[in-house]
Amino acid sequence: MQIQQIEGRGADADPRNRPGVPMETVPAPLSGAQMPIEQQKSDYAVLMHGGKQKLPPVFGTAAPLKGLSGVIRKVAYKYPDHWARHWMMLMMADRVDSWEHNLRRTLPLAAVLVLGGLTFKLIRR
Amino acid sequence: MRALTYQGPYRVRVENKPDPIIEHPQDVVLKVTRTAICGSDLHLLHGLIADTRVGCTFGHEFMGVVEEAGREVKNLRKGDRVVVPFNISCGTCFYCQRSLTALCENSNPSSDLASGVFGYSHTTGGFEGGQAEYVRVPYADVGPMRAPDDMEDEEVLFLSDILPTGYQGAEMGEIQPGETVVVFGCGPVGLFAMKSAWLMGAGRVIAVDHLPYRLAFAEQYAKVETVNFKEVGDVVMHLRELCGGRGADVCIDAVGMEAEGSTMHKMLGLAKLEAGAPTAINWSIDTVRKGGNVSIIGVYGPPWNLINIGTAMNKGLTLRMNQCNVRRYMPRLLEHIREGRIDAKGIITHRFPLEDAAHAYHLFAQKRDNCIKCVLVPHGHA
Repeated sequence: MQIQQIEGRGADADPRNRPGVPMETVPAPLSGAQMPIEQQKSDYAVLMHGGKQKLPPVFGTAAPLKGLSGVIRKVAYKYPDHWARHWMMLMMADRVDSWEHNLRRTLPLAAVLVLGGLTFKLIRR
Repeated sequence: MRALTYQGPYRVRVENKPDPIIEHPQDVVLKVTRTAICGSDLHLLHGLIADTRVGCTFGHEFMGVVEEAGREVKNLRKGDRVVVPFNISCGTCFYCQRSLTALCENSNPSSDLASGVFGYSHTTGGFEGGQAEYVRVPYADVGPMRAPDDMEDEEVLFLSDILPTGYQGAEMGEIQPGETVVVFGCGPVGLFAMKSAWLMGAGRVIAVDHLPYRLAFAEQYAKVETVNFKEVGDVVMHLRELCGGRGADVCIDAVGMEAEGSTMHKMLGLAKLEAGAPTAINWSIDTVRKGGNVSIIGVYGPPWNLINIGTAMNKGLTLRMNQCNVRRYMPRLLEHIREGRIDAKGIITHRFPLEDAAHAYHLFAQKRDNCIKCVLVPHGHA
């Protein structure tokens, strides 16, 4: 195919047609933005990394901390995010979170099996 | 509501979760009508992004209808149909005021890497994602854009991420008319970067991947030349030869941390000694001509990667990279879709009801059934 036949080729050849040029625009609030921004409240602790001074007005509340993984995450967030240990501990916490989840899911089944086995042993005696 | 939830590496499941509520007066709750699985969701699925907690919902490409609006929301009301950028941006901070919405400092307490992002771990703020029946959207007057009444959901859905990301990738390459552009990766973002390179007047666009079906798709969809790096001995030498011996003017990395092509980097990535494999960045640095531009839109995680920075320095390269500042690209790209210059919907190969999301993830991750892009339909039929 001839490149001249490509639909729209060159439509944004002029950098003035490119929305991201220049990379930084003259500072001005974006359309629809409102000031001041009210602070979001939360029923549980929101973790900030160690280099952060204040909580942003808006944050996510997807999965509160729990279990051993929560403890590791809490420690990890004491360190600023330019420290490798911050990230390494978070990666470790993710693995622990996954193991804890598996354990929680399989625990009822394991308990039934153990109890069943013990009962069977007792009956056989 | 029903929502996709993370169950640990390589495992996701659709289950019941509480409906989202208005947590801040500038929030809306959106009834999701279409949502897509992004290549970067696979990094979450594979447990490569730090602080991805079990039970959270993924999904940063979505659109829907406003179900409920917070008391300070002025521009949206119940029933409005909107496309939502993946960045959560306040519109007033130092960065937003400069149109760098991907760097907003008022939405992410967890790190200073980027703004808050929907469904992308607690590293980007811990927000729930859109692969669910409903989702909370903060700063609703700033990010979301109304979808035109005469356009279908799937025509505009990709304005939420991959289309602006691909476009910004080409734009950061500062392509001059007639230049040769090499795009690493023929996934959805790579395809849109190729299309955008043509829009910016590139003289030649070469796509690199290793999956024959993706290369064939790129050839047909984006009208590019293709190179299968598994079929050529040394991909850098091959590309340099294709570009007259000097190298490409611009290289774009649209692959990210799960790149194939280097056993050493793959092993180091698996051992967590680096944050995934930076193979596509290194190939870009080696393939581009001296004084050329490298643009990085593939996702990499902290803390570090082994990158040929000495080569880049000595070759006098310009390296540009960023998460996409989606909002500023939406109007122009909508125009391109409307004018028929970009067929955004044309990359969708699979549609599934939300209930089949786990299957969709595995199909996409394993590149089965010639999958390019999966769209999920939370309400109604796929």
